[in-house]
Amino acid sequence: MKNGMKGNLILNGYGSSNGGHFNEVKLNGRGIVNGDLECVLFECNGSGTVKGDLKIDRGKISGSGKIKGGVNGNDFTIEGHGSVSEGVSLVNKMNISGSGKIGGSLRADEIKIKGKATIATDCETESFQTEGQFAIGGLLSADHIDVKLYGESSALEIGGQTIKIKGKKRGFFHLFKPFFPAKLTADVIEGDELELESTNAKIVRGKNVTIGPECEIDLVEYKESIHLDDAAKVREFRKI
Amino acid sequence: MSNELISKKDLLDLTGISYGQLYRWKRKDLIPEEWFIRKSTFTGQETFFPKEKVLERIDKIQSMKETLSLDELAERLSPSSSAMMELSRKELLKRNIVTNVSLELYAKENGTAEEFQFEQLLELFILDKLLSSGDISLDEGRMILQVLQEGRGRLNKSKHELLLIRKLGVTSCLLVAGAENIMVDQGSRVTVMLSVESCIEELKTNL
Repeated sequence: MKNGMKGNLILNGYGSSNGGHFNEVKLNGRGIVNGDLECVLFECNGSGTVKGDLKIDRGKISGSGKIKGGVNGNDFTIEGHGSVSEGVSLVNKMNISGSGKIGGSLRADEIKIKGKATIATDCETESFQTEGQFAIGGLLSADHIDVKLYGESSALEIGGQTIKIKGKKRGFFHLFKPFFPAKLTADVIEGDELELESTNAKIVRGKNVTIGPECEIDLVEYKESIHLDDAAKVREFRKI
Repeated sequence: MSNELISKKDLLDLTGISYGQLYRWKRKDLIPEEWFIRKSTFTGQETFFPKEKVLERIDKIQSMKETLSLDELAERLSPSSSAMMELSRKELLKRNIVTNVSLELYAKENGTAEEFQFEQLLELFILDKLLSSGDISLDEGRMILQVLQEGRGRLNKSKHELLLIRKLGVTSCLLVAGAENIMVDQGSRVTVMLSVESCIEELKTNL
């Protein structure tokens, strides 16, 4: 992105703009951008709204930002409460700490979620790491999927190379039934190396499969090895 | 092309690729989304693929991935990315991409050009392919060029099929987007049915 001659857009308090090309854009307070926005650095502190597509190098929503369009760029961070009504496509990294809602698909090289993320359709990345909750309406596809569950998460399908799902450590309190159970629900989980805990799935297919405690799985199909925890409920498993 | 399907399990067994690779290739658009056909079976949901197409594609990926990165491969295989390619008339003949006959016909219709853009190359390539297969006459070739030029700019955005239908010695040429099944009346014969997408792919591997 060329930024030699472009100016900055800073809206403090109430204010609105019609969008355009900028170097830096900061919405502090209740700024509204009515139109597409293209900039190197985007920051939204407070409750800003962009009514259009956002094209950025780096962007950050801390506060409650709304993008009523799609997001394209290198890096994007949501801290606080952010929503994007269409898809997000990034070259590098997506960070969600807080609560992020994406009304389309999410594509990035790396995705980190601490908090809660809702993605309406597919989520495609090389590395997917979460500590928290997620709800993915389509396929979660990544080379490495590393999930530490807090609360309930779900995806329609999960596919990748290594998939590790860890349940919540309950320590001393494991005597009591937890108030908010940590659980991952998916229809199909497919991968080469699978380590699952606290997972509900209809079908799990993989090369080396480990099914840990608190799993409920209808059918496991494995190629090379399978390891079942005593506390796992697996209705049926077979070698293929 | 047969409509035989292959399940994901059998595909992995047959080709020796892993789940990780399959999902990675899908992410990079090396295997198009439309080929993933979901069906419910008695064991639950399964994904199937058009057997012939997917085997051919995986074979291609495996043979090329030694020399090209996945992104370069995607560029090569995806029809929507027609990289800036330009070739001169001499180059085309020298590298045997098209024959002189089709070049002359093309020149007659469009005026002589020395340099060809990708879209023009594609038109030329399709024309040449059909002419050298002997399926069409020169007149029909002219007609095809006309139709292709009407559709210029749209060809690589979605899947198109080029059809040639003959009835009582009269030929019509059609360019159809997203056609799965085409029925014609008894007196007509479909002489040519060509997927533009596969032509783009073929042309790219030749360039």
